[in-house]
Amino acid sequence: MAVDITLLFRASVKTVKTRNKALGVAVGGGADGSRDELFRRSPRPRGDFSGRAREVVSHIGKLRDFLLEHRKDYINAYSHIMSEYGRMTDTERDQIDQDAQIFMRTCSEAIQQLRAEAHKEIHSQQVKEHRSAVLDFIEDYLKRVCKLYSEQRAIRVKRVVDKKRLSKLEPEPNTKTRESISSETVSQNPSKESEEKPVTEEYPVEKILPDTQPELGTWGDSRGEEELSPEEIQTFEQENQRLIGQMNSLFDEVRQIEGKVVEISRLQEIFTEKVLQQEAEIDNIHQLVVGATENIKEGNEDIREAIKNNAGFRVWILFFLVMCSFSLLFLDWYDS
Amino acid sequence: MVGVKMAAAAASIRERQTVALKRMLNFNVPHVKNSTGEPVWKVLIYDRFGQDIISPLLSVKELRDVGITLHLLLHSDRDPIPDVPAVYFVMPTEENIDRMCQDLRNQLYESYYLNFISAISRSKLEDIANAALAASAVTQVAKVFDQYLNFITLEDDMFVLCNQNKELVSYRAINRPDITDTEMETVMDTIVDSLFCFFVTLGAVPIIRCSRGTAAEMVAVKLDKKLRENLRDARNSLFTGDTLGAGQFSFQRPLLVLVDRNIDLATPLHHTWTYQALVHDVLDFHLNRVNLEESSGVENSPAGARPKRKNKKSYDLTPVDKFWQKHKGSPFPEVAESVQQELESYRAQEDEVKRLKSIMGLEGEDEGAISMLSDNTAKLTSAVSSLPELLEKKRLIDLHTNVATAVLEHIKARKLDVYFEYEEKIMSKTTLDKSLLDIISDPDAGTPEDKMRLFLIYYISTQQAPSEADLEQYKKALTDAGCNLNPLQYIKQWKAFAKMASAPASYGNTTAKSMGLLSRVMNTGSQFVMEGVKNLVLKQQNLPVTRILDNLMEMKSNPETDDYRYFDPKMLRGNDSSVPRNKNPFQEAIVFVVGGGNYIEYQNLVDYIKGKQGKHILYGCSELFNATQFIKQLSQLGQK
Repeated sequence: MAVDITLLFRASVKTVKTRNKALGVAVGGGADGSRDELFRRSPRPRGDFSGRAREVVSHIGKLRDFLLEHRKDYINAYSHIMSEYGRMTDTERDQIDQDAQIFMRTCSEAIQQLRAEAHKEIHSQQVKEHRSAVLDFIEDYLKRVCKLYSEQRAIRVKRVVDKKRLSKLEPEPNTKTRESISSETVSQNPSKESEEKPVTEEYPVEKILPDTQPELGTWGDSRGEEELSPEEIQTFEQENQRLIGQMNSLFDEVRQIEGKVVEISRLQEIFTEKVLQQEAEIDNIHQLVVGATENIKEGNEDIREAIKNNAGFRVWILFFLVMCSFSLLFLDWYDS
Repeated sequence: MVGVKMAAAAASIRERQTVALKRMLNFNVPHVKNSTGEPVWKVLIYDRFGQDIISPLLSVKELRDVGITLHLLLHSDRDPIPDVPAVYFVMPTEENIDRMCQDLRNQLYESYYLNFISAISRSKLEDIANAALAASAVTQVAKVFDQYLNFITLEDDMFVLCNQNKELVSYRAINRPDITDTEMETVMDTIVDSLFCFFVTLGAVPIIRCSRGTAAEMVAVKLDKKLRENLRDARNSLFTGDTLGAGQFSFQRPLLVLVDRNIDLATPLHHTWTYQALVHDVLDFHLNRVNLEESSGVENSPAGARPKRKNKKSYDLTPVDKFWQKHKGSPFPEVAESVQQELESYRAQEDEVKRLKSIMGLEGEDEGAISMLSDNTAKLTSAVSSLPELLEKKRLIDLHTNVATAVLEHIKARKLDVYFEYEEKIMSKTTLDKSLLDIISDPDAGTPEDKMRLFLIYYISTQQAPSEADLEQYKKALTDAGCNLNPLQYIKQWKAFAKMASAPASYGNTTAKSMGLLSRVMNTGSQFVMEGVKNLVLKQQNLPVTRILDNLMEMKSNPETDDYRYFDPKMLRGNDSSVPRNKNPFQEAIVFVVGGGNYIEYQNLVDYIKGKQGKHILYGCSELFNATQFIKQLSQLGQK
C-alpha cells in the first residue's frame, strides 16, 4: 500500500526554504522562483513533436466523442416509427460516414508525417525510441476509434441488405395485398428490434404474422362479403398457413445467410490484418535477399581477382626462376 | 460471506504486487480499463533493485500496455526528453538521491513522479527538496510516494528478499564467526525492512513464532517492534487503510514462522528430482529466467571457417506458461512424458489445420452449396482464431524441450539419479546398499562437488559421528576426487554446536522406488532417451521445515516447537508469553527462512498444503541459492 508523501515533500521544501533564508544562502529562486521557472520554461523548445502528437490525440478524441454522441441516433432505426427526436435520415448518416472517413484519413496522414519527421533532427537513440513508441500508441488509439465507426457502419449496412432482400420477396397474386401488408410489418418489426441480435427476433415476427392474419381475416369478412362459403374460407386459411410456412423458411434462410456473411466478414478482417503484417515481413525479406545477392556478386568478383592475382604471381615467380637459372648458366659459361 | 472474504484474503502475493506496480505506473491512480481511452505516455526510470522487482512480474509488452515508452536504468546516460512525465522507482540510497537531484538540475523530463521502494527518511527528502529548489523545479515534482515493495515475488506464493545485495544477507554473512554487532544490526535491519514491506503489501498483521536463540529470533523481535510502532501510530498506520480490502476482515490472521537455516543444512545440499528444483540446481536459473548454452550440432567445418560459436539462449519461465505451472513440481520422467504428449497433441492440431487447407482447395471448385460452405467457414474461423494459440503452444513446447534436454544431459553426465536415490536413503536412515566410499571413489559419477554434497549429507544426518579412521578414509577419497575440504570444517563446527543446542532434525521415512526402466522407455518411445536413468518415484516426505510448520499451524504439541516464542504485534502489552493465545489452527501461514532457502523446501511445502483444503502457504527466504552457491559459502566459512 503506497503512502503519499507529497505533502511531506512540500513541507520539507518550505523548511528548506526558510532554513536557507535564515542562513542567508542565496537560493537559485526564492521569491523570484516562480518567475524564473516561467522564464526558463518558455525559451525551452516546447517540443514540437510532442505538441503535434498531442494535437493529433485530441483530434482523435474529438472524433470519438462525435461518433459516440450520434451513435444512438445512427443505430436507432427507422425514423418514421420513432418520434422526431431521434430522427436521422439516410443522407445524414451518409454525411456522418463520409466525414468520419475523411477525418480518419487526415489523422493517419498526420501520423505518417510525424513519423517521417520524428527521426530527422534528433540524434539521440532514446528520444527516437520514445517517439516511435508514442506514434505506435497514437496509431493504436486511432485503430480503436475506427473500430467503433466500422461497427456502427456494419450494423447499418446489414440492415440495408436485410431490407432489400425482404422487399424483393415475390408475393402470390391473390393474396398480394395481404403480402404487402405483412411484408411491411415483417420488415418494420425486425428492423425495429434488431439492435444487435437478429436471432432473437423470431418471436415478434411470428407473433405479428399470426396476429395480422386473423385481422386480415376479419377485415376480409367485414368487407361485407357474406357469400364466402366455408370452403372458400378454409382454402384461404390453408393458403395463409402455407404462406406463413414459406415466410418462415425464407426467414430462416435469411438468418443463416446473415450469420455466414458476418462470419465471412470477420474472417476477412483477420486475413487482411495478417496479410498486412506479412507484407511488412516480406518487404524485409526482400531487402535482405537483395542485399545477399549483391554480396554474393561482390564475392564472386573478389574471387576472380584473387585467382588472377594468383596466376599473375605464379607467372612472375616462374619468370624470376628462369632468369636466375639463365644467369647462372651464363656466369658459369663466362667463367669457364 | 465471510468465507468468501477469507478466500479472497489469501490472494496471491504476486497479484497484489502486480496491482500495486500497475497503479504506481498509472501515476498512483487506480487503473481503470477503458478501451477507448486516450493514450498517455510516460518514461520509467528504475535502479537495479527496481529492475529485479519489476522483471518477474511485468513483461515489456505489459509495460507498453500501461503506456511506458522507455524504461531506463537510473545510473545510465539519459538524454533529455521534453514533455514527458517520468516515473521513478528506486531505493532511497545516497547515490540514487544524488543522481535524481542531478536529473532535476538537468531538467531531463517534464514532470517527476518519485516512488521509493521502501520508506525514505526525512533528511533525504530534504536533500531532494533542496535540489529541487536549486533547480527551480519544485512544481515539476508532481508526486512523491513510498511504495513499500521491497521484496521480489517469484511465484504466486514464493518471495525472495533481494537479489542485488544478497551478499549482505547471505548465510555466510549471518553465520560468520567474525561478525560484529553493528554489521549484524544492519543485516537484521535490511531483512526486517523487507519483511515489513511484505506485510504492508499483504495487508495483514501476522502472529509471529520463531525458535529461540537463533538469528530468526532477532528478526522476530525487531519485526514485532516495527509492526507495533506502526500500529500504535494511528495517524499514519499502514494497516488501517480501506484499500486493504479483505485482509482486514478475515477472522484469522496469518501465522509467520521464522526459521533459521541452521535447522536443516542437508536440504540445500540435496540432489533433487523435481523439474523446477532440477532446473535451479543444474542450469543457470535466476529470477524466473533460464540461461542455456546451446552448442549447435557438430558439422564438418570447411577449412578456414570461423570456429563455431555456442548460442546462448535465455528463456523466461512465467506463470503464463501453463505447462510450467502444471509440471514444475513433478518428477522429471513425468515431465519428459508430458512434453511428448503436448508435442503430439500439437501435431494433431496442426494436421487438422493443414487438412482444412486441402479441403478448402477442393471444395472451391464445386458450386459450393450453402451448407458445405457454412461448415467450412465455421471451421476456418475456429482454425484462424486458434492459430495464435497454436503458435504459443509450439513456442512453449520448444522451450521446454530445450530446457528438459539440457537438464537430462546433466543428469546423465553426473549420474544425478544415483545420488538422489542414495541421499534419500541416507536421509531416511534405511540401509544402504552401496557403501559411501564406493560412490565417492567412483570416478565417473558426478563432479567433485556432487561427492562433497553427498558426504556432507551423510555427515549431517548420522546420529553419531563416524570414527576417526573412517573419517580419514573419506577425506582421502574426497581429496582424491578433487574436492575442497573446507566445507567439512564448517559442518563439523556446526554439528558440534547443534548437538549442544538441540537434537539434530530427523527427516522422516521415505523410500524411492525405481520402476522398470525398459518398459517405460518402450512405452513412451520418446526422444528423451532415458535409458540408463532410473525412473524414480518420489514418495511423500516431510522436510524439517514442513514438519515445524505443520506443528505450529495445527497447534500440535511437539517438543521441537513447544518452546518457540510467540509474538503478537496487535496485543497491547509487549510481552513475549510463550503461550499462544489462539487455540484454533491457522488457515494461512508464511514460512520465512533466515539465511537462505531453495526450491526443494518450497516444493515440499506446496505438496504438503495441497492435501489440506482451504489453507494457504507463502514461502519466503532471505536469499535463494542452489547447492553450488551454498557449498561455496560453506567453504568460505570453513576457511577461517
